[in-house]
Amino acid sequence: MKRLQYMSVRLLQGLAALLVIATANFLLVRAAPGDPVSIMAGEAGASDAQFVSQLRQQFGLDQPLPTQLANYIGHILRLDLGYSYRQQQPVTDLILDRLPATLLLTGTAFALSLALGITLGALASRNAGRWVDSAVTVVALVFYATPLYWLAMMAVLLFTVQLDLLPAFGLFTVGADLTGVDRVLDISRHLVLPAGTLGLFYMAVYARMTRASMLEVAQMDFVKTARAKGLAPGRIQSHHVLRNALLPVVTLAGIQAGGMIGGAVLTETVFAWPGIGRLMFDALLQRDYNLLLGCFLFTAAMAVLFNLITDLVYTLVDPRIDLG
Amino acid sequence: MKRRNLLQAGSAALGLSIAGVPLHSLAQARKGVVNVLVQPEPPGLMMGIVQNGPTQLIAGNIYEGLLRYNDKLEPQPQLATSWTVSPDSKTYVFKLKRNVKWHDGKPFTADDVVFSCDVFLRKTHARFRASLVHVESVKALDPLTVEFKLKQPFGPFMGIFENGTMPMVPRHVYEGTDFLNNPANATPIGTGPLKFKEWVKGSYIHLVANENYHQAGVVNVESVYFHVIPDAAARAAAFESGKVDIAPGGTVEYFDVDRLAKLPGAAVTTKGWEFFSPHSWLWLNHRAAPMNNVKFRQAVWTAIDREAIAKIAWYGFAKPATGPFNSHIAFASDNVAKYPRDVDKAKKLLAESGYKGEKLRLLPLPYGESWQRQAEIVRQNLAQAGIKIEMVATDVAGWNQRCNEWDFDLAFTYVYQYGDPALGVGRNYTSENIAKGSPYNNVAGYVNPKVDQLFAAGAREGDPGKRRAIYLEAQKILVDEVPVAWLHEINFPTLYRSRIQSIVSSGIGLNDSLGRVKLA
Amino acid sequence: MKSRFCRRFCRNQGAVFGLLVLMLVALAAAVGPFVAQYDAWDMAGVPFQAPMAGHGMPLGTDTMGRDILSGLVAGGRVSLLIGVVSTVVSLLIGVGVGAVSGYFGGWIDATLMRFTELFQAIPSFALAIVLVAIFQPSVQSIVAAIAVVSWPPVARLVRSEFLTLRQRDFVAAAQLAGQSTPRIILTQILPNAASPIVVMASLMVATAILLESSLSFMGLGDPNQMTWGYMIGSARTVLRQAWWMAVFPGVAILLTVLALNLVGEGLNDGLNARADGSGK
Repeated sequence: MKRLQYMSVRLLQGLAALLVIATANFLLVRAAPGDPVSIMAGEAGASDAQFVSQLRQQFGLDQPLPTQLANYIGHILRLDLGYSYRQQQPVTDLILDRLPATLLLTGTAFALSLALGITLGALASRNAGRWVDSAVTVVALVFYATPLYWLAMMAVLLFTVQLDLLPAFGLFTVGADLTGVDRVLDISRHLVLPAGTLGLFYMAVYARMTRASMLEVAQMDFVKTARAKGLAPGRIQSHHVLRNALLPVVTLAGIQAGGMIGGAVLTETVFAWPGIGRLMFDALLQRDYNLLLGCFLFTAAMAVLFNLITDLVYTLVDPRIDLG
Repeated sequence: MKRRNLLQAGSAALGLSIAGVPLHSLAQARKGVVNVLVQPEPPGLMMGIVQNGPTQLIAGNIYEGLLRYNDKLEPQPQLATSWTVSPDSKTYVFKLKRNVKWHDGKPFTADDVVFSCDVFLRKTHARFRASLVHVESVKALDPLTVEFKLKQPFGPFMGIFENGTMPMVPRHVYEGTDFLNNPANATPIGTGPLKFKEWVKGSYIHLVANENYHQAGVVNVESVYFHVIPDAAARAAAFESGKVDIAPGGTVEYFDVDRLAKLPGAAVTTKGWEFFSPHSWLWLNHRAAPMNNVKFRQAVWTAIDREAIAKIAWYGFAKPATGPFNSHIAFASDNVAKYPRDVDKAKKLLAESGYKGEKLRLLPLPYGESWQRQAEIVRQNLAQAGIKIEMVATDVAGWNQRCNEWDFDLAFTYVYQYGDPALGVGRNYTSENIAKGSPYNNVAGYVNPKVDQLFAAGAREGDPGKRRAIYLEAQKILVDEVPVAWLHEINFPTLYRSRIQSIVSSGIGLNDSLGRVKLA
Repeated sequence: MKSRFCRRFCRNQGAVFGLLVLMLVALAAAVGPFVAQYDAWDMAGVPFQAPMAGHGMPLGTDTMGRDILSGLVAGGRVSLLIGVVSTVVSLLIGVGVGAVSGYFGGWIDATLMRFTELFQAIPSFALAIVLVAIFQPSVQSIVAAIAVVSWPPVARLVRSEFLTLRQRDFVAAAQLAGQSTPRIILTQILPNAASPIVVMASLMVATAILLESSLSFMGLGDPNQMTWGYMIGSARTVLRQAWWMAVFPGVAILLTVLALNLVGEGLNDGLNARADGSGK
């Protein structure tokens, strides 16, 4: 009951936070020099006063700022993210359009990074001080220390250009019109490099955190007690050490998950993956306010949601934490 | 940056198969598919409303104008088959082609022409409006004849019928509607050799052949895909691996163009830009010292190593400019004063100008690697001559903003000159074109009444011989005064598979040639 | 206490190696520009010269003929400066917010956490780009932007540590003993929460360097500074013809970031009273 109460309070707080974020983003984005009208006028190669004022009116930029803000917040409350004049489509449609690709990429990368990271971290902590530990640490560190875009470029260089094994861009092969199983296979092939690059990059974080955490927990009294009681080392690791050591990892993973959905900009750019990260970056460069804010708000909502879930999971796992 | 490309789906390279049948044999059955690169993704495809580069690349093959232009910018018939000009150069009569159909099957008539010019484009097309002020009336004399009456002779009039400047739009779709928000804008309808099929945002745009095209035997492709790939290296890799057949100018970095063109089965051409005649220079803001001093401006121009920039930043795909006119446009002359690079001379001129050593802000053009390199070279060149430079960091929106608001000391730019000084040059040097809000007018703030007079006279003159003399004088004056430091004529190279023939069949290149290519 | 720390630190060979590398990088950054032969921006050589081609530029030249070694040295300065300063600022904010939030709980916690969520909810890279775009790319704006996007994870980690530690007996004892709140936070809880913070700090300097290089890669770096990220970005398009232009700065980033992480591990080993590196 207390938990339910806690959850609803947090949910309301989350919604309020989203409104504040929406307002803050709205003002922040308009502080950047230039606006969508100046860009479109620039791209047209020629413009005059009529053209500029037409665009301004179309984009709703000719109204005073407070009016624009009020309109925007009003729309948000009705779950209307507005219209992208640049792309001639409602913002909601544009985001939903890109959502599957984003979820596919970040979901796969997330799962890969967690699975690989925790496994390697546990392996390293069990063999602490031996060569396995060093090897895992070095591998993890190298992947984390390499700039993501550089790693991506190297992967393309090796697997696409030299070996011609995997495709380098896009979600699927255009023009091939594949269906069914073949389409699934085609998309999977396109997914390998981007998800692999992104996953390997984050794997390092989880590996290190798991290792450090497990080492810390392994020294705690209750583990020593379990050992003294004669429990099998494997069981100690999986049931006692791992469970407790995973708490900081869970915290980190929760934070990462929420941010990953909108944060894969670099990967999506290098691999031309049609995701929300790229949509947002392009919207920024084009000063497409509605689209940019829509993407911000969407990813903010995801982050708030994941934060809430993480906290809930955390309290479920660690009974010492007092919700009061 | 404006880019265009077509490429053939080289699925053989992937070794993919569908149900065991190797894809490349399927590809042979679909021989008429061309894959092109487009960068960046266009904001819309309705060419009457949106006129930027990527839109013109794609929609130029959907919409048509009354005329086409060859590489010498001579008008060729397209939707108009013949035309007459009155002796006083004020009345033009065009005869239209018979049995031309819009992509939705309705007939194309003179009413469409009148609607497009007088109603639609007047409302939506800024550049065309600038030419429309010279037009007194547009009338349909009969369903296949259109008459333009001008207020006074307008020299470049025969050059404005290209499909980017004056695209024909369907009256039956747009009359009486809100043009900018008409839902038909999402599915453009034209008369051209290619029809709009599908647009998957963020991925590709798909055009298909117009089986009922008004010229028989011209359309030899079945499908054209325009791929959106945001990363330059990924674009080059796409061409190299055979996924893409055509990389239009600017989609692939210049060094890669050089390398990729040497691959077997690849070719490169710099043709197809004669109409646009891209010209690049360095704005100097005349509203502040020392840029308002002619000796300082001459020093700047003399200090810049245009040859080195052409070689290092543009990999040879640029020609040093000698003055304000691109060599492809009408009445260009190099019979003007020359300013070869000379660091000592620049230092001397600088000393004479009274430059006190203040740091000047240099605004680069944030369009890509070559522009960035160019900015760095210019910074070093100017430093060598003794001019202190601070580079300003900016993105495209910021660049637009600063140029619009005159918030710069030195700024890079390039413009299209559209084949005629009255269309594309005058706007940069005449005082009536000084206005905040556009990066393409007289941003420098240069004022010279004689130059104003010459450009006005040149636009109103019908006789080419007289125009030549007028513009020669204008060029001489401008080169002496150096209102801006001219840099290069940019020859955007188009990279393509050599088995694609007739890749460029007009002065606007891929913009209206893609429907006419032949696959060997 | 101190000598025990040193002993434990030094037992970690990786950490020692990392420390040596860091010291080398710092030395090169400090002294290098004075002894380097060429200015990093000077187009002194022939473009596209391979390494060891024998013209006095051991690491070759870039697309404009600039000496890569000089560029690396100049870049090291800026990268380290940006990395360290932005992390320090970030830590100050993050630890402050997290400690207060985790200790007091209740509405203070709720408010601060909502504030933290505010920042965290926006993807950090996108926010950094917007901030840098607004304030015009320069060293100062990049440091500020990186600091602003990096503090939330610190705050959350510190908060979760404080939430757990607050329940411990030694805190209750200190409260009973009448110690003031700031004293309890700073002298009792914080030292016990220090190890994950320290590990995180070393990661953060590394992340800051990577973030700065990503900004430069996207074209948002300070155009008047030669940085490693800028060097990779400008070599990106000629990667296949001139591998050295991107490899050397990339290796520089890799080594520096690696060293920072190794040192962080060593610090973790040294500070953590029970994590015995050998484990047996």
